[in-house]
Amino acid sequence: MEAVVPKKHWTVAIRINHWAMAFAIFVLIGTGFLIAYPVTVPGGETWQKFSVGYIRFVHILFGMFLALLFLWRVYLAFFSTFRADWKDLLAFTNIPNTVQQIKFYLLIDKKGPPHTGLYGPMQSLAYLGLFGMVFLIVVTGIILMGAGYGAGFTALLYGILKPVERLMGGLAMVRYIHHVLTWGFVLFIVVHVYMAFWYDAVLKQGTLSSMVSGYMFEKGDH
Amino acid sequence: MVGKHYRRLLEQCKIRMDRFEKEYPAPREDFQALLKERGVSRRDFLKWTSFMTAALMLPPIFKPMVTRAAENFSRLPVVWLHFAECTGCSEAFLRSSYPNVDDILLETISLEYHETIMAAAGDQAEKCLEDCIHHFPGKYVCVIEGAIPQGLNGQFMRLGPKGETGVQIGKKVTSKAAATICIGSCAIWGGIPSARPNPTDAVGVSKALGISTVNIAGCPPNTVNFTGTLLYFIMFGAMPPLDGQGRPIWAYGKRVHDFCERRPHYDAGEFVEQWGDEGARRGWCLYKVGCKGPYTFANCPHLRFNDHISWPVMAGHGCIGCTESGFWDTMAPYEKPIHEATFGGGERTVDKIGTVLTVATVAGVAAHGVLSAMRHGRTDKKDGTTTGAGKE
Ligand code: HEM
Ligand code: SF4
Repeated sequence: MEAVVPKKHWTVAIRINHWAMAFAIFVLIGTGFLIAYPVTVPGGETWQKFSVGYIRFVHILFGMFLALLFLWRVYLAFFSTFRADWKDLLAFTNIPNTVQQIKFYLLIDKKGPPHTGLYGPMQSLAYLGLFGMVFLIVVTGIILMGAGYGAGFTALLYGILKPVERLMGGLAMVRYIHHVLTWGFVLFIVVHVYMAFWYDAVLKQGTLSSMVSGYMFEKGDH
Repeated sequence: MVGKHYRRLLEQCKIRMDRFEKEYPAPREDFQALLKERGVSRRDFLKWTSFMTAALMLPPIFKPMVTRAAENFSRLPVVWLHFAECTGCSEAFLRSSYPNVDDILLETISLEYHETIMAAAGDQAEKCLEDCIHHFPGKYVCVIEGAIPQGLNGQFMRLGPKGETGVQIGKKVTSKAAATICIGSCAIWGGIPSARPNPTDAVGVSKALGISTVNIAGCPPNTVNFTGTLLYFIMFGAMPPLDGQGRPIWAYGKRVHDFCERRPHYDAGEFVEQWGDEGARRGWCLYKVGCKGPYTFANCPHLRFNDHISWPVMAGHGCIGCTESGFWDTMAPYEKPIHEATFGGGERTVDKIGTVLTVATVAGVAAHGVLSAMRHGRTDKKDGTTTGAGKE
């Protein structure tokens, strides 16, 4: 039988970034929907309560956190000393591979395309999409944040992003785009988590544990 | 302490006012006499100057200049055009419970032409307009109320004895004006006439005529925002700084939500859940019954309407976002928190669509999981190897 050897896949930086982003996104979806559909707190005096204020605070805090994580991730994509994966994110440009991958996913074919990079073709497309969504939600989030707070760094960023607000059709549309993107994240999470389990079950290379340990297991002569 | 910048500005303002007094025709009315006649005391007038100076975001040393500009207000020739609109903006400016200084100012305004309120009619009226353009080229201010329909080559709107289209009249009058001020949503971006489905292809003045305009946004706008902008023009010979939607920053630089008197209830999580409930009685935040204050830039909470008596949120209905471009479409429905006319209209909100999609996706991956187990599971048993070399 062939030897099963662990092979390093993800650096510590990528793993920390991944789980921090995941945590931030979960918090942001939760607090985000609570901002969109706030809950009335009936009892007590007004001055004793600050629920929506705190929710906004947590949301904006994790929002800025996500913005920084995103910058870090983009940096890693280009300058990671272990593996700058920006080229891997273009795997979908190999059309025959992409078609083969889709057949594999639709259970038409039993084999996926050959290993080329870090990501499969559909996976690269999904992650590029995710980065696009993170970028957009960060931009719209910063605009929403700047609209209500006119000082310091926020004001500076808002000043720069004001034309974007105009382009999107005013603050109401910025908020709408921010809200629609939230659903994009919900859908992404469902598919992403499922695919991780699926690969783990089908390929048996330890996909699930790899984002914790950093290693995937491969059969062969490594 | 008044900064150097403001001292210099004050000097410029004085020079400009001297020139203005020389170049423009004599005031039509003695403003101070008129105030007395209408029962506005000197004290009230001084209060008003302080208020206006502050509203324009100028330091108190400008108060005498605001007074002087007010006294010279009636020197400025104004042409007021009506296009596709309801005349509600004019109405809002003209009607008030009792005259305050802003209303009296607007009364003294040297209106050369205003279709709703001028005495002249027909050819005579037309002559007034032509005289003004002829006598005060580059000096008069053109105020436009109403959208310009572009459909059928502009023929959805023909006006006056010569049957000119809105575009033709607009071009004729604005080309010789010192500045063009758009009053209300219709003139700015099209307003109701341009709301979906916009059968006449109505657009705002600046788009129809290809000019830049000063936009006094609102449906209707606040009188103070208009008089203030004209006073600024008289004082400085230029229009005030504008934001991306062409609105004066002094009036439209801040968000309704951030200056709303109900804001503490928002932060405290105290919301009106439905009309007439306990929250409504206690003056709680109107977000959940559709307030659009969080997305709207305007000074309504500061200035209020009708002699600063009230404004929509104070009266108990949410803000509908009327100072923002495209608000009829982007902010509707006004009594729900998020807008509905998403895909194909109807009652489908993005949240309903999102929920359905999520449920469908979960069902989809579950089905895929079962099918995968059947297909790949069998393989495993048969030849003992896993399939595929594709990689996560
Ligand atoms: C995955 C990331 C994110 C999700 C899922 C998310 C979700 C949401 C949702 C659902 C809302 C409510 C919108 C509504 O009123 O309908 C919201 C509002 C908001 N978000 Fe986010 N958001 C994310 C990231 C960010 C980021 C990165 C920032 C800023 C740095 C940000 C700042 C804001 C602000 C300022 C608001 C408005 C809060 C208010 O009205 O006071 N968000 N977000
Ligand atoms: S009533 Fe409207 S503007 Fe006022 S705090 Fe509530 S949401 Fe904001």
